[in-house]
Amino acid sequence: MRFKYIILILIALTSLAFASESAIFGKDLIPNILAYDKEGSLHLGKWFTLLQSTYFKPIFLGVLLGVPALFFIHYKIIGPMIFSHDRKKIYVFSVFNRAIHTIAAISFILLIPTGVVMVFGDFFGGGEFVRINKDIHAIATLLFVISVIPMLIMWFKEMLPTSDDIKWLMILGGYLNKRKDPIPAGKFNAGQKMWFYVCTFGGIVMIATGAIMFFQDFKIDFIASLGLSQIDLLRLSAIVHNVLGFAVLALFMTHLYMSVFAIKGAIHSIITGYKEEEEIEILHSSFYKKLNKDKKI
Amino acid sequence: MANTWGYGAMTNHFGDVVGNSKAILMIGANSAVANPIGFKHFLQAKDRNNAKLIVVDPVYTKSAAKADHYLRIRTGTDVAFIYGLLHIIFKNAWEDKEFIDSRVYGMDEVRQEAEKWTPEETSDVTGIPAEQIIQLATLLAKTKPTTVVWALGITQHSTGTSNTRILPILQLVLGNMGKKGGGCNIIRGHDNVQGSTDMCCLADSLPGYYGLSEASWKYYAKAWGIDFNWLQGRFHSPKWMHEKGFSLAKWWQGVLQEEKTYSSSPIRALWVQGTGITSMAQTAKVQEALDKLDLLVIAEPFVNEAAVITSKKDDIYILPVGTQFETEGSVTATNRSSQWRSKVVDPLYESKTDHEVMFEFAKKFGFYDEYVKAMKMDIVDGEIKVVKDNFVWPDDAANEIARTVKTIGLGGWTAKRLREHQENWHLFDPITLRGYGKMKNQYYGLPWPSWDTKHPGSPILYDVDTPVKQGGMGFRNRFGLEHDGVSLLPDEKVNVKGSKVKGGYPEITKDNIEEVLKITLTDDERRKIGANWKVDLSGIIQEKCNEAGVCVYGNAKARVKVWTFPDPVPKHREPIHSPRHDLVMKYPTYEDQTNNFRVDVRFKSEQQQQDWSKDFPTMLVTMRVVNLSGAGMLERTSKYLSHITPEMFAHINPELAAQHGLRDGEMMWLHSPQGTKIKVKAIYSHSVTPDRIALPYNFAGMMQGVDMSANYPDGTKPYVIGESSNTITNYGFDIITQIPEFNAGLCKIERA
Amino acid sequence: MSEMSRMKFYCDEDRCIECFACSVACSEAHELPTGISRRKVITLNEGKESLEYSLSIACMHCTDAPCEQVCPADCFYIREDGIVLHDKETCIGCGYCLYACPFGAPQFPRDGAFGAKGAMDKCTMCAGGPLETNSSEERHMYGQNRIAEGKVPLCAAVCSTNALLVGDSQRVSQVYRTRVLSRGHNHTATPKAWKSAYGS
Repeated sequence: MRFKYIILILIALTSLAFASESAIFGKDLIPNILAYDKEGSLHLGKWFTLLQSTYFKPIFLGVLLGVPALFFIHYKIIGPMIFSHDRKKIYVFSVFNRAIHTIAAISFILLIPTGVVMVFGDFFGGGEFVRINKDIHAIATLLFVISVIPMLIMWFKEMLPTSDDIKWLMILGGYLNKRKDPIPAGKFNAGQKMWFYVCTFGGIVMIATGAIMFFQDFKIDFIASLGLSQIDLLRLSAIVHNVLGFAVLALFMTHLYMSVFAIKGAIHSIITGYKEEEEIEILHSSFYKKLNKDKKI
Repeated sequence: MANTWGYGAMTNHFGDVVGNSKAILMIGANSAVANPIGFKHFLQAKDRNNAKLIVVDPVYTKSAAKADHYLRIRTGTDVAFIYGLLHIIFKNAWEDKEFIDSRVYGMDEVRQEAEKWTPEETSDVTGIPAEQIIQLATLLAKTKPTTVVWALGITQHSTGTSNTRILPILQLVLGNMGKKGGGCNIIRGHDNVQGSTDMCCLADSLPGYYGLSEASWKYYAKAWGIDFNWLQGRFHSPKWMHEKGFSLAKWWQGVLQEEKTYSSSPIRALWVQGTGITSMAQTAKVQEALDKLDLLVIAEPFVNEAAVITSKKDDIYILPVGTQFETEGSVTATNRSSQWRSKVVDPLYESKTDHEVMFEFAKKFGFYDEYVKAMKMDIVDGEIKVVKDNFVWPDDAANEIARTVKTIGLGGWTAKRLREHQENWHLFDPITLRGYGKMKNQYYGLPWPSWDTKHPGSPILYDVDTPVKQGGMGFRNRFGLEHDGVSLLPDEKVNVKGSKVKGGYPEITKDNIEEVLKITLTDDERRKIGANWKVDLSGIIQEKCNEAGVCVYGNAKARVKVWTFPDPVPKHREPIHSPRHDLVMKYPTYEDQTNNFRVDVRFKSEQQQQDWSKDFPTMLVTMRVVNLSGAGMLERTSKYLSHITPEMFAHINPELAAQHGLRDGEMMWLHSPQGTKIKVKAIYSHSVTPDRIALPYNFAGMMQGVDMSANYPDGTKPYVIGESSNTITNYGFDIITQIPEFNAGLCKIERA
Repeated sequence: MSEMSRMKFYCDEDRCIECFACSVACSEAHELPTGISRRKVITLNEGKESLEYSLSIACMHCTDAPCEQVCPADCFYIREDGIVLHDKETCIGCGYCLYACPFGAPQFPRDGAFGAKGAMDKCTMCAGGPLETNSSEERHMYGQNRIAEGKVPLCAAVCSTNALLVGDSQRVSQVYRTRVLSRGHNHTATPKAWKSAYGS
């Protein structure tokens, strides 16, 4: 139901935006050319060229290699956390949660690698291969679009910051030692919350900036009224999409490591909906205390 | 112009402007849009000679954007404007007195008229600030040589004939005639308009400006080798042989018979070949006439809109005719040069060349032999004879023209010479047109008059400092030898260089040749010689004049007073539909005209029927756009050209638009005093002031809001259709030529 | 200092009359769809007395081409004579070159799946592309390769007023300088467009 509406709105907006003359090559072409890198302009053209030509790729490479490397070292030195499977299993994720997460997960599994391929387009020789990746990236966005709002709504309350989060951050979630001390965290810890915000709010920004770049030549009166020309909007979108991309890539890989490798069995909770009691007791101690009080166990 | 000094064509040429002009006065022309490559020459003159470009135009056009001085004039006030300049010139004694005294007749009346036109009065009438008028007059007086350039902005008025006289008068006063860098350079648009003008594809003359007199018909009968009586028999009665036909502007009256016509019969069939009939005024009337015809034939390479705007269902024939690339022959450029064009490709699909179509119909109608006879003839021993059984097209046609058309001196335009120029066009200097190497002693394209096959052509007209055999001559003796007791021939001071005859002399005739040239003819010569230089097929007059260095057409004064015209000296008259009712009373138009080109034309009765400016307050100017020309029939079938102007529009000042609640790009109705209306897009532009709008005339296919494009045969609809501006062009025609008043009129704007 | 000439365009704003010959000739020669104009003609201050001027704009074949710098697929290549070209088969249609270009030269036809952007198209200075010179494939993808035939790019060839100049940068400068000098004292020292586009 929601899917249909979203598609309809998208199409309507698209046709509206495309209806009239070019927003880039029409009346604005000359002012844009004259304004390039002038005093009083946003200098976005210059910044985009500088950042894209010199910095983005190396930073992406750093993140792409550095984050896994870091976790590899962590795994080797500290190793995964293993929790007992003999105690109770607590129901934490509903069918709806899991369905939405699954859709989002699939979309990210498509979005991230295809995005990376595009960043390193020349390494892959450009051409048909990278173009296919670009198309998949666009299609996967649609998948992500249908899951991001539900995900935002369903977990928003539980993702709100609490006092635990500061404590959690101070000890870096307790992942720097092998002890099994109870960690200050609610149903979701600060790390998960960070990822949640980057994934949902950041994701929406990624969708928006990505869509702007995909459709490229359109006019939305609201944006034009802000005094931002279409070409500057594109430049800004490209910069934001790339910079947020660093965060998304880094945290996605972190999320994968944490849920697949660092905490043995954690992944099952998003498949079956049940978490091990010990895992909650240790890693989400405040949540455990609350469950006990409410006699939910 | 022809009535001022003999010929009505551009007197100098573009290369001459580049090489020599120090100032260029462009009035009623928008060369940057209508002749971009021609305009290059003005820009080159600006670059190389520091020439000043002055543009006088009701709209700030692309030409105006390159001007050193721009003067915004009210449409239809050109005569007043020039008089304003003349007033200042005379007042300061800046005129070229020597030139006027020796070579011009009738200037005193012009001086008298000019006295009235003080800067204040001129400013009131034209809308140009008085300071600018004074500034321009000073500039023109002090900058020599100056050339004056004009085009349809001058001719397309009810006072067009006055306009085209006052500008030569200005040049005569300033002494810029017959000089390098000076002259009157009327720009012709299409690359063979000059050619078609020379062949007089009009209703009032035989080819070569011979007119319709019996003497001219008899001459042509002789030149074509056919019986004069047979020719006469082709007409309803002998009287009609000498009557002007209907004009392109008002032929529809011959069909509709709404007003009185003077014709042997109404028009029942129309043959349209090579003209965009929707680029004529009163389109609604044209539509009505087309509906009423018995037969409509259109011979064109693209579907002429005439076939589309009519709702006639039967008896319309479209004949596919080839384009200029599918045929061969000569074309005449605006500077009177001829250029040979070769065929690029054979006529495509089922199309035929124009001449093939005409030959086929001549065969069907039964006069083919008479039609082509002259191409098999030639002058042998001073007499015209049939010399062969077959003809070669187009060479024999070119030779026939060269042999026959003596008035403008096409004698030098044999096919052989023209082909040679085409093959050697790299051997000519673009500034002077002079040839070198193999083409030495010839000017490129042999600008007419090129009196005979040895003559190099005349790039600059009326230049008495050049011998006749190198292209020089004086003004033409066309208007008699004297008027009101004053001689029309100059005295000993004005000698054509190298001429045996000193001072002025009349045009050479059989009767005066011996006296003027101080020679004696033999009996044989006397037998063969024609009545005058224009009808002398024997060539004897030309031969004798060559020997004497004399120009066959005489050496006369230019006349600024045309005593046969309603206004002997040009006078300012308000356009038929004028925004200034007070000036309409002060400078009214002509009295209504009876029987010009077989129709009556309303002048005063239309102008003073009511105060048009009350209901129709906005001035209407029609303009060219660079990517469309004429009726747009060709260009709107090109996707890239159409893309530049995908819709019919009108340029409107934002202030005026705001008054009517029109936003940029909204549709509006434009109403004409005739009751017609069109629906066009309003496009904001600062090139027009709030009292006027400007619209292109090159669209067709929509009539008063109704889309007529369903009438196009399958697959022939152009990419772009639109309203024709001529649907609202106001009723108004020139008093002599009957050209419609496209460029002055009124309209009412209404938000659609 | 390289002996090789550097090919550059220059449009003389005192000569350009917005006649569109360059734009139409380019579209015709390379058989472009009407939505893509590799060369555009623009007019500034239209209708404003003494302020109006026109220019013809296409890819300027920059020496430090920003498009080439930002391309993720690295599909651009700059010839020794300075002409900036790209490989349409490598191009992924991402749009970065358009963002980087100060002149808006790259354009994207919408002929991909779901209306996605196809490969970028821009002025090639009539020098074709990476495919075999003067082959029908090259012509189909990139348009005519006139440079290889020793001909002048079509836009400058058809310019009615010789406003658009193309060629070795030294020669082009020379032509323009001659014009400026002969135009005399009443000509502004710096062309309006140049001053706006390249000044700071």
